[in-house]
Amino acid sequence: MNRIKAASILLVVLLIVFIVAVQSGKIFGSKVDGTDSSEEIKYTATFLDIFDTRTEIVGYAHNETEFSNQAEIIKERLVFYNNLYDIYNDYDGLNNIKTINDNAGIAPVEVDEEIINLLKFSKDMYKKTNGKVNVAMGSVLSIWHEYREYGSDNPERASLPNMAELQAANEHVNIDDVIIDEEAKTVYLADPEMSLDVGSTGKGYAVQRVMDYCREQGMDNILLSLGGNISGLGTRIDGTQFRIAIQNPDLSSSEEYIEKVDINDGQCVVSSGDYQRYYVVDDKVYCHIINPDTLFPSETFAAVSILTDDSGAADALSTAVYNMTLEEGMEFVNSLDNVEAMWVYHDGTKVYSEHFEESIVK
Amino acid sequence: MKKNDIILIAVILVITLGGLASMAFRQKASTEDTADKAYVLVKIDGEEYGRYPLDEDRQERIELPDGSYNVLVIEDGYVQISEASCRDQICVNHFHIHYAGDAIVCLPNRLVVTIEGGEENDIDSATN
Amino acid sequence: MKTNKIAFLGLLVALAFVLSYVEFLLPLNIGIPGAKVGLANLVVMVALYTLGTKNAFLLSIVRVVLVGLTFGNLAMMIYSLAGAGLSFLAMVIGKKTKLFSVTGVSVLGGVCHNIGQIIVAMFVLETSSLIYYLPFLIVIGTVSGIVIGVLSGMIISRIQKLFKI
Repeated sequence: MNRIKAASILLVVLLIVFIVAVQSGKIFGSKVDGTDSSEEIKYTATFLDIFDTRTEIVGYAHNETEFSNQAEIIKERLVFYNNLYDIYNDYDGLNNIKTINDNAGIAPVEVDEEIINLLKFSKDMYKKTNGKVNVAMGSVLSIWHEYREYGSDNPERASLPNMAELQAANEHVNIDDVIIDEEAKTVYLADPEMSLDVGSTGKGYAVQRVMDYCREQGMDNILLSLGGNISGLGTRIDGTQFRIAIQNPDLSSSEEYIEKVDINDGQCVVSSGDYQRYYVVDDKVYCHIINPDTLFPSETFAAVSILTDDSGAADALSTAVYNMTLEEGMEFVNSLDNVEAMWVYHDGTKVYSEHFEESIVK
Repeated sequence: MKKNDIILIAVILVITLGGLASMAFRQKASTEDTADKAYVLVKIDGEEYGRYPLDEDRQERIELPDGSYNVLVIEDGYVQISEASCRDQICVNHFHIHYAGDAIVCLPNRLVVTIEGGEENDIDSATN
Repeated sequence: MKTNKIAFLGLLVALAFVLSYVEFLLPLNIGIPGAKVGLANLVVMVALYTLGTKNAFLLSIVRVVLVGLTFGNLAMMIYSLAGAGLSFLAMVIGKKTKLFSVTGVSVLGGVCHNIGQIIVAMFVLETSSLIYYLPFLIVIGTVSGIVIGVLSGMIISRIQKLFKI
């Protein structure tokens, strides 16, 4: 019977070993006890239905559900701004920028405070940039929009708007005709021919407001990218800085990125360039950024990237600086606090503002 | 308990342990395999459309019900869209992607191609 | 069938039922579906050696159906039936060959019970990965088979003396 006893003890020991092994998931693979991780791990959520662009949320959580809840909150806020700042679509029971445009010269429109805030901010940026960013030039931009859409659909028949048409539209771009009544919470376009196009400020401003909201909610370690308007809240979970790559405007190059920058808490990066949205007429590229002075797309640079601590400003400034010469832009950027820029010429030459290089990853 | 009982038990245990050892070994080999294995994940409108290993060269024509399409090419561990019916052609002009988390997006066709797993790069996001 | 035999069979059914319930209350919680000590097998063993193959088989099936209807669901009942069926077959063969003592037969029964369950589960759930549980279940089956074998050996010898059936 001793042999049996020994065998029994051996069996019991084996049994315990098996139980331990199974519990720790070593033998039977990893997913025995669900997928909860004791550390917070990195997740990315991508949406395609906001601001007609790609939204990317990078965050950290213990599991996927926890992260998607967080991403869902952020998305909900973004959708709110998307609907408010939309110039092409109506939403039931909501007065948005399109409603204001539709009522140009007719009546003031009562709108959400966030529209008023955006328009005040946009007027501010207009002044700051000497008119290089003008949300009231919808009449001009919509002409280019139509030609670009048609040209993209029918490349062989793509054409340019004629100057007379553009100049006629340019008679109706006075930003002082955007009349904001803060008390009544209304916006009125005094010129019936004018329209708002918040493409140069809306996305960036929305990102800033959403990030402010996240901060108020106590969230941390989040990176939000709304069509390349990138804004960071806190750091990576390990305390190191978020690292942002800047897209190479030369799409035929073998290098996808031309620079990498590390951003601090609250910093934002955005690029404006002719590689993003454009169409081609007679082998020449015409991009979506229209210079208010020439009424034609700017073509000095392939791209301008702005690094600053306000996403709304970053968005507007990248458009403004893209529309300036290098000298104007350099002077302008260096005159502003906490704003840095990088210019990229079509031949790949890079020019940096005073302190831009300090953020570059060596 | 007879001698045969002991033999029976011993035989069962030996067979089991042998099987277990080989299984554990194979499992380990296969998890090591998948840990570093990178997949190309194709989503349309947020729904998974397909998943292809990054290390196998292939060409996949992704058709949408409305007739639009994107042609996905996986070559030498890099993924690109070589052809698409969309008018902006941003997906076609996009750089080929290779690292975990990289993505190519075709907004008109609601298509997102991402790489899951595999080699990591050091960036968290990129401007576009 | 003698009356006391019928009464004894009824008693065993009740006992098997109770033991199944005990097992249901105290599941062997090790993260593996279907891992059981198989206490009820003790009763089946006793029946097999005291009441014969036919009655033991009856007991085995009645127990599974009763327990399945009372505590479980249809899926659980199918698993149990497969396990009980294969286990019973193995035990009968083991006993008929006269190669093994009660303990050996019990081990065969315990191991085959778990094998039967996992095979059915693999078909029902259409996943072959369950096979990774098999070695573990076989070891459990062996250990519990030994314990139950020794126990039923003691019980059987006493019952045979007591009841002379």
